[in-house]
Amino acid sequence: MKKKLLSIVMATAMVACMTGCGNNTESASAEKTEAVEVSEEDGQAETEEEAPDEGNPAEQSVIEGDGEMISLKIWGSQTDQDLLKELCEEFAKEHPENSWQFDYGVVGEADAQARYIEDPAAAADVFSYPDDQLTTLVQADALYEVTRNVDEVKSANAPGTIDAASYNGVLYGYPMTADNGYYLYYDKSVLSEEDVQTLDGILAAANAAGKQVHMDISNGWYLASFFIGNGCNISLDENGKQICDFNNEKGLAAAEAVRAFCNDPAFVTGDDSVLEGGIGDNICCGVSGPWVSASIKEKLGDNFGAAKLPTFTCNGEQVQMGSFLGCKVLGVNTQTQHPVEAMELAEYLTNEKSQARRFEVLGYGPSNINVSKSDAVSADIALKALADQSQFAVSQHVNGAYWTPAEAFGAELEGHSTNDLQAMLDQLVEQATAE
Amino acid sequence: MIFLTFIYIIVEALLATFFFKFGFKYLSHFHTLGENAQGKQWNEALQIYERTTGDNSMLILLFSVFAIAACILFIWILVLLIRNIKQILKLEKEGKHIPTFKEILLELLDSKFHITLLAAPMTTLVLFTVLPIVFMILIAFTNFDANHQPPGELFTWTGLTNVIDIFLGNSTKTHTFFGILGWTFVWAILATFTNYIFGMLLAMMINHKLVKCKKLWRTLFMISVAIPQFVSLLLISRALEPAGAINLALMKIGLINAPLPFLTNPTLARVCVVVINMWIGIPYTMMTFTGVLLNIPEDLYESAQIDGATAFQRFTNITLPYMIFVTAPATITTFVTNINNFNVIYLLTGGGPFGLDYYQAGKTDLLVTWLYKLTVDKHDYALASTIGIFIFMIASTLSIAVYNRTGSVKKEDMFQ
Repeated sequence: MKKKLLSIVMATAMVACMTGCGNNTESASAEKTEAVEVSEEDGQAETEEEAPDEGNPAEQSVIEGDGEMISLKIWGSQTDQDLLKELCEEFAKEHPENSWQFDYGVVGEADAQARYIEDPAAAADVFSYPDDQLTTLVQADALYEVTRNVDEVKSANAPGTIDAASYNGVLYGYPMTADNGYYLYYDKSVLSEEDVQTLDGILAAANAAGKQVHMDISNGWYLASFFIGNGCNISLDENGKQICDFNNEKGLAAAEAVRAFCNDPAFVTGDDSVLEGGIGDNICCGVSGPWVSASIKEKLGDNFGAAKLPTFTCNGEQVQMGSFLGCKVLGVNTQTQHPVEAMELAEYLTNEKSQARRFEVLGYGPSNINVSKSDAVSADIALKALADQSQFAVSQHVNGAYWTPAEAFGAELEGHSTNDLQAMLDQLVEQATAE
Repeated sequence: MIFLTFIYIIVEALLATFFFKFGFKYLSHFHTLGENAQGKQWNEALQIYERTTGDNSMLILLFSVFAIAACILFIWILVLLIRNIKQILKLEKEGKHIPTFKEILLELLDSKFHITLLAAPMTTLVLFTVLPIVFMILIAFTNFDANHQPPGELFTWTGLTNVIDIFLGNSTKTHTFFGILGWTFVWAILATFTNYIFGMLLAMMINHKLVKCKKLWRTLFMISVAIPQFVSLLLISRALEPAGAINLALMKIGLINAPLPFLTNPTLARVCVVVINMWIGIPYTMMTFTGVLLNIPEDLYESAQIDGATAFQRFTNITLPYMIFVTAPATITTFVTNINNFNVIYLLTGGGPFGLDYYQAGKTDLLVTWLYKLTVDKHDYALASTIGIFIFMIASTLSIAVYNRTGSVKKEDMFQ
């Protein structure tokens, strides 16, 4: 009897140990893959792989001034750190009425929302996030409304970016960049400017040359371009509930076009690394965003080409592909001790001068109207293609539930599934709009 | 003992202060988990909406758990205190010696040494394992999800909604749960026994008398263990992509015309994870079995040979019983670990390919990776917590039930 009791105790202890260990490895590996994971999962294509640990020896700058010490914590991605520091110090010099202490944390835009929700009080006072995280952040009451100088902010930035940073008509952040979109990269030695006008033209030329056409259909972010192009609606209602009508007639027609594209011998899927690795070799064109611009330019050299997305054949007519256009936004944490100063800083970091500097140093497409009209920005082929595409783009008002079923839908078509499209679309919409 | 009584009273006082100064204000909201959400107020001078602090459901739940734990501790120490006083009175009545504080302390190093030994592990176990687990179990009975995120929104008790959602109510979630549960078991069985059987065969092959350079072979097979698991898994997952190394190689040789959908076809993806898990796991089982094989007394084989047993008979009657006897507890551990095998699945396929009929999950997802996605990506903590409880139930029941039936527990003293 005693032995039995002992063995039960031992077994329980063993289970406790195992579950304990299991949890540890789980969270450790979770942290390791976090950076990779977010970029694939959210279809939101961040290429900077941030160190997931904001506890890195955090940079700090202290600028003495006249008044009381204002201490602010700022989050930005790893690549942005130097510029962030430079701009913050400039800001402090222009505001000598206070003493300033800035703490810089390395938290990339893709992780901002997750990190914020972990512990709002410990999150940064000013942090950048992609506009697709806006809904969740507003629902968690994380962001201050932009109420000071709101008209100046609204008039200085492109209307699309203001729309993207707004929820129910209220502006919740300061647009910082406007380059979270996608367009077509192509190899000029294979495709002519005329070919890239239509998807049919591209496929014909690619097949003739024995090359492939890349698009990540199994990613809801890119997949949506067909549906948006054919006039489907994906947005949020005033309660933050997802609206998605991809299963109507127009959506069905768009889905037929996607299926035809996926079944074309020239079609190839995969994430950015496939495009970056294959372009110039077996791939002649592909769809992606500004973050791969540099590496593709390097591979193609003089043959580097970028254009708006092509038109595709839908019910026998040519329809322009749509796209999502997002921006990175600077938000002010509702938990901050110094809301007014934090807002002033956020506004400064996104003003015309800062955006011009950001384009100069990091090459990010500006949301500021004046900067985007400047000669330097207009000369950038990739950003010009993005600007051309932006007139067919919609803001990314999408909740988290859309991405997984959209990926499943795209993956089935990539796998040449012959299932009934209407039934698949119904499932997609049901899951995407589920509470 | 009188000094000990004072210590008890001081601890009681501290606990009471903690409870009334800190715990009570959370515990008083425990039944609703907070009534007032964070509010806004227009500040004309600053031109901003100032926030008024509201209730934070998560903190209320968390600190309520601590407050309740403090209450239990209070009652326990109260019992100790009363018992202590009773004993003092009793000893005094009988005119016996009342132990001094020093004697009590010395006793802790002698007859009550087990208490001293277990004090630190038990305290940490309660603080870092039991209390968080209670907290997480409680979350399963709330609606803590993406739409109810503190501090902006409150969440509250919803009873058994999540459990019902999973088992009966919500068709997609029920379908997903049972689909994933089935695959989890298929996976755990396949992953455990493929490794077990092939590891055993490999160990026996290397151990065979005719095999030369045993050490070389063992080292070769151990190389895959030397590389950190997540590195090799991520590399393989890259290599299996449509434009990855394996597909390109097969196409160059001319075996296939179009890339094989290794990770995008549900069946093929499931086969892939099992096979790759074998590649990762077999070296470990091989090492274990090598150790066991070397420990089987050689005279058993010799006498069997003299009695005319064939090689197969020797295997089924000596090697196999011996191995199963020694490795059974470890195999159960492996089985339970495989039910929760996060790394292989998550790093290789990420749970994909995703299914339109599954709720935020893919065809190779295990319960534990689904749980991970629900928490980290979807912030659906309540549902994830419900699944977590279920995983815990499966793992603990299996372990205890099977463990007690194994030969090594029943005949514990046989090999000593």
